[in-house]
Amino acid sequence: MRFLPHTDTDRSAMLESMGAASIADLFADIPAELHLERGQLNIADALSEAGIVRKFTKASEKNRNATNTRYFLGGGTYNHFVPAVVDYVISRGEFLTAYTPYQPEIAQGTLQALFEFQTMIARLTGMDVSNASMYEAATATAEAALMARRVSRKKRVVIAGSVNPRYRSVTANYLSRLDGECIEVAMGNDTADFGTDMDRLIASIDDSTACVIVQYPDFYGSVYDLAALRAACDANKCLMVVAFSDVTAFALIESPGAMGADIAVGSGQSLGIPMAFGGPHLGLFTCKQKYLRQMPGRVCGLTRDADGKRGFVLTLSTREQHIRREKATSNICTNQGLMCTAAATYMSLMGDAGLATIAQRSAAALQMLVSRLPDHVSAAAGAHYNENVISFANQSARDRFLNIAQAQDIFAGIALEKIDVHAEPRHLLVSTTEMIEEADINDYLAALEAASE
Amino acid sequence: MNNNTSKYSATQGIQHEEALLFEHAHEAPESIHLPGVEGAVPEALQAFMRQQPANIPGLSEPEAVRHFVRLSQWNHGIETGFYPLGSCTMKYNPRVNEQVARLPGLAHIHPDQPEDTVQGALELLYEVQQWLGEISGLPYVTLQPAAGAHGELAGLMMIRACLDARGDTKRRTVLVPDSAHGTNPASAALCGMHTVELKSGADGRIDLAELKAHLNNETAALMMTNPNTAGAFESDIKEICQLVHDAGGLVYGDGANLNALVGVARPGDMGLDCLHINVHKTFATPHGGGGPGAGPVAVNDTLKPYLPVPRIVKDGENYYLESTSDTSIGSILSTLGQSGVYVRANAYISAYGRQSLYKIAEDAVLNANYVLHRLKDVYHVPFEGVCKHECLLTDELQNKHGIKTLDIAKRLIDLGFHPMTVYFPLIVHGAMLIEPTETESRETLDSFCDAMLEIAAQCEAGETDLLHDAPLSPIRRRLDETQAARKPVLVWPQ
Repeated sequence: MRFLPHTDTDRSAMLESMGAASIADLFADIPAELHLERGQLNIADALSEAGIVRKFTKASEKNRNATNTRYFLGGGTYNHFVPAVVDYVISRGEFLTAYTPYQPEIAQGTLQALFEFQTMIARLTGMDVSNASMYEAATATAEAALMARRVSRKKRVVIAGSVNPRYRSVTANYLSRLDGECIEVAMGNDTADFGTDMDRLIASIDDSTACVIVQYPDFYGSVYDLAALRAACDANKCLMVVAFSDVTAFALIESPGAMGADIAVGSGQSLGIPMAFGGPHLGLFTCKQKYLRQMPGRVCGLTRDADGKRGFVLTLSTREQHIRREKATSNICTNQGLMCTAAATYMSLMGDAGLATIAQRSAAALQMLVSRLPDHVSAAAGAHYNENVISFANQSARDRFLNIAQAQDIFAGIALEKIDVHAEPRHLLVSTTEMIEEADINDYLAALEAASE
Repeated sequence: MNNNTSKYSATQGIQHEEALLFEHAHEAPESIHLPGVEGAVPEALQAFMRQQPANIPGLSEPEAVRHFVRLSQWNHGIETGFYPLGSCTMKYNPRVNEQVARLPGLAHIHPDQPEDTVQGALELLYEVQQWLGEISGLPYVTLQPAAGAHGELAGLMMIRACLDARGDTKRRTVLVPDSAHGTNPASAALCGMHTVELKSGADGRIDLAELKAHLNNETAALMMTNPNTAGAFESDIKEICQLVHDAGGLVYGDGANLNALVGVARPGDMGLDCLHINVHKTFATPHGGGGPGAGPVAVNDTLKPYLPVPRIVKDGENYYLESTSDTSIGSILSTLGQSGVYVRANAYISAYGRQSLYKIAEDAVLNANYVLHRLKDVYHVPFEGVCKHECLLTDELQNKHGIKTLDIAKRLIDLGFHPMTVYFPLIVHGAMLIEPTETESRETLDSFCDAMLEIAAQCEAGETDLLHDAPLSPIRRRLDETQAARKPVLVWPQ
């Protein structure tokens, strides 16, 4: 077996050196009736490396993908451009095959990259501090709710119905076994309601509320002002938690921090991380400095070494499970470390200017599409970043369009009810990135015309 | 330490200082050439435009590459050297797995594109789901948990749901041995349960009398690791499971140490109800400097109804995602799981196949016992007997020279090795937990053992300054963790 260095001669010599007659001696502490007959598990036969490449290539070729299809799919995962350098950096064995940097003297590479990541994420989101990642956006949202409960010492969590339904359901699931309520504020069922109804949301806050969770831009892509919510949170001494699904938005529109968020969480998948059928992605977690010690997850901090040189370590570990056990701020241990390195590399290649270009083009593509929609479909009004809901007369009209578009190598959107199970089955959640060109939009519109005939 | 360079792999080498990105002080170069629609930003967005730039430093491509390549050279990785971290299973990560995971039809697919356009991906994930069930002896598997601790949470949620369905709503106590990983009690707390610690017996194993004394009508589960974190197999496992079941509880397995058992014995056959698997340990997916991992959970018939959704199911020749279930605990992630990690795990299991999978456990256990045998006369061994995939030593014999586990660990760095896991498990003082894994050669094991013996000899010879000052060779020496925590600086000032 090519991953195992020992020959049988090595094995015999090693066993002999320790006075063991056979490998079986080393497993004698496992009761005999529990031993499997070797080589009898119901698993496929071993493949050569060439066989593995062939198997996976064949499986890969069965899937439509972003190299042969135009993606207007979002809903939390986005097809942004990934520069070659990002994949090169995270393919380097020193980043790829390193453990969590608990021995900082020989992990300064990972640690400095984490420090740079934390700094750039804090700047992009407009927040004071960032941790070194969560699994993804939904668990980050749930952890934000838990943190807000600790900070406020209150237990009632309010979550807007315009937050991605998956983030909502995971958050509600996390909270459901603990004391205290988790209130979802429905936003209505009309097409006009694809957005965030601030009045309804504010009306649901009371002085027992630990936090209000909104998404900005919201699940439907709507961009709106948070000033009134900030004031309502202040009046009720509750935290404002802002979730987001495409962090590139904040290279164009005002950041959660500037909007007054106490905690901002969401997905960093857009920062150089492939869609990869749902993961590994990158959960971002940021907050105000004053709440730092209640933040979940690992963080990297600056310090000095014995010679006085600048260096980095994982810090504030007294919040964490390996020290605090059942009193830890979270149970998270393994995070998405390599994705932080990817995101740091990506951001350094882009800089402010590149990120702004990506954000402008993502928004411009959506604007071009929406402004040219034919009469038989409609898009939700108001300000949108790179995502919006377009609506058809009925399900069959929508699905006819989806099929025609797919035949022309376009994934035209996500059937809204697939994520938002209460939505009528006639809407599409449509998303654009800088990977969409004008020609793709022309083809999309042509497919819409064809579907209406 | 230069006199060691011929004997051990450590070297002073070429070491570059590297500034922070934010210190590369020049104006950002021309932005990277990007695709896309060069249209106007919509009028409606104008009211929301960002007022202050984020101040993300843009580097030219050659500068960015050099920056991150230099940083990479400050890291120890499995590809650069031995990494004997106990309970972490730092084995070689096959390169072909990286190659296949980057195939466009696997890397560049969206979790919400139509199911008939991702049949190849679903097939690979379904296959690995079935294989993990077969390897664990617990046939039903969820791929949703993103890492081990997330799997613990999922498993405990299922256990709680199962007990609630039985009307056992008072069962909220989770028994956890004092040798357990810290994630175990933290996960229980997050699941609205509380933990009671079981004191380990004199042999480091679960003490049956202690277990019996704590089992009662409030017991929800026993959460255990087998082999345990002292590297010992819980030989009473069947009786342990029987006792817990008779008391009305369930048995949760922390699969961090599954590498000792792959293809040799199955937790399901031992009586466990549930097991999370650390794919980034046992199934060789890269740790990435802290993640990503994957923590799938395998369960038996008792817990099957409560599995999270979505789950991949097969209908004839077609695969699809089952997204609803009346009894499910619901979703714990926004997608079906860390698919890219499972693609690599599938490739890894495919390489061993049915015929060879057991060799993983056999060589892992052989290597750990070999290290134990070579070091047992010089370092204190708290628990006698064969070990499984990792061996536990302590610094007791070195303490009298004023040398602690931390000093030994740091000195190993100077000699070219990553330290072992230190001060864990908590049941012994000054723990050193060594897990060599199956992918290390005898030559490497001997070199490591020589280094450990040399350190012990230096203790005996009173060369303690060398050990207290270690490490001397890496780009940074011991870092001031107290200062970092007292005045945390987590971001570079603007």
